Amino acid sequence: MATKKVTYKEAITEIEEILEKIENEELDVDELAEQVSRVSALITICKDKLHKTEAEVEKILKEMNQ
Amino acid sequence: MSDQQLSLYELQLQVKGSLENTFALPVWVKAEISEMTVNRSGHCYLDLVETEQGTDNVIARCRATIWSYTFRMLRPYFETTSGQTFGEGLKVLLQAKIEYHEVYGLSLNIRDIDPVYTLGDLARQRREIIRRLQEDGVFEMNKELELPLVPQRLAVISSPTAAGLQDFLDQLHNNPHQFVFYTKLFPSVMQGNEAPRSIMNALDSIYEYEDLFDAVVIIRGGGAQLDLACFDQYDLAFTVAQFPLPVITGIGHDKDDTVVDLVAHTRMKTPTAVAEFLISGALRFSQELKELETHFTELITDQLEENKIRLNDAADQLNQLINQLIVTQQNRLNIVGIQLANQSEVFLKAQKSELQKYTAEVKRLTNHFVIKQKHVLDFSGNKLNFIFRTQIIKNKNLLNQFNHLVKIQVSDQIRNEKKSMIAIQEKLRLVDPQNILKRGYSLTMLNGKIVKSVKQVTQGDLLETRLGDGALESTVKEISTIK
Repeated sequence: MATKKVTYKEAITEIEEILEKIENEELDVDELAEQVSRVSALITICKDKLHKTEAEVEKILKEMNQ
Repeated sequence: MSDQQLSLYELQLQVKGSLENTFALPVWVKAEISEMTVNRSGHCYLDLVETEQGTDNVIARCRATIWSYTFRMLRPYFETTSGQTFGEGLKVLLQAKIEYHEVYGLSLNIRDIDPVYTLGDLARQRREIIRRLQEDGVFEMNKELELPLVPQRLAVISSPTAAGLQDFLDQLHNNPHQFVFYTKLFPSVMQGNEAPRSIMNALDSIYEYEDLFDAVVIIRGGGAQLDLACFDQYDLAFTVAQFPLPVITGIGHDKDDTVVDLVAHTRMKTPTAVAEFLISGALRFSQELKELETHFTELITDQLEENKIRLNDAADQLNQLINQLIVTQQNRLNIVGIQLANQSEVFLKAQKSELQKYTAEVKRLTNHFVIKQKHVLDFSGNKLNFIFRTQIIKNKNLLNQFNHLVKIQVSDQIRNEKKSMIAIQEKLRLVDPQNILKRGYSLTMLNGKIVKSVKQVTQGDLLETRLGDGALESTVKEISTIK
């Protein structure tokens, strides 16, 4: 659940940082593999957040009283 | 006291008369509408006031009437021109005929109204509110908040029945990109004097759930372009400006922005525009994400390809280098071999010639030495020769002398010997066994040996007896010893 809390901005910032590192060839092959999976995870998190309804949020909003 | 006494009615008539003289023509009057009622027949009754600037104390008050036939024309004219609902709280410039009624007293009969004055006054008020907000330091506060890249959880303030709200929700939830949005309605009155208070209450409710939302959306459902005065209200603008979540407005008007629009984080014209803004934000982010993904994939592919090429290159290079190294080393080895061969030869030659030199030298020295020694030897030989020769001569002489001496001595000796020989011969003749045998003596022999004792003989032996003129053989018969 902890990873779900990443904001879009944090995700994008992290992805961009990693991309920059890759572009500047600061990473060796092992680190590269690690960062590739990290970027994939971040992209998936963002896509899920954009397109998949979080039941938890819906429930809270529904139960909320004004 | 006074000479003249008037009845109340006479007095009123005189006042009325003098007023009608003084105000024969209508006058333009500036006033604020403090109360307003419209009766069934459409007549409008107003209570006009003027307040002291700064204190708001009422310093003048007067009733006014707009007859229905006038009101029916003036009201729409005023409202379309000023954009304001004609009503309480407005400052207005009115053309009034002063009337005085004996029973009801002073009253203004309104003939015309100048909406431009009201507009100017509103603008002034608005400027005043903006100035106060700026002085309070809150004017930019909401704009300084960071709107999340994709605001998805939205607190919506709207009238639940507004058509604009439904449009907004439909558009947002049925967006073609299937972005998820969460909306929660906080119902509020969006028009009239109650609106600011109601909206502020809604904001208070949202404030309790601040963490659940990304932004607040204030929308007002289209329709009448009127009555935006509530959005120019100081307290509401102050609350919106200070609100901890970004506020997006879609109040639905084409005219100048209201103060609430000005202090809001983002101002959109209509609820639909707000929905579009939110969707396009999500789309922009989604595209950016896609681009990043593409870029990322390309980058990784490139990088892997590059690494592969680099690796291959390195392997090739290594191969080449090693081959080169081997060739170089081989060449060097060959050269060294040749050099070694050459140098060995030279060395050997040098050593040989050196050796020859030494040999020659040794030969020469030896020869020299030999010659020298020969000389020495020759010399010594000659010397020896000489010494020997002299010695020989000396010895020869000595020998000769000795010889001579010996010769003499020998002949003497010989002579003496000759004499003794003759004597001996004589003796010898006397002792010769022959002669003895002749004289009767004989020899007894056993096996060739002379028998000198009887112990040598045993009975039966064959004995030989030699006599002067022959020999006898006999056998022993008996042995006896002389006692």
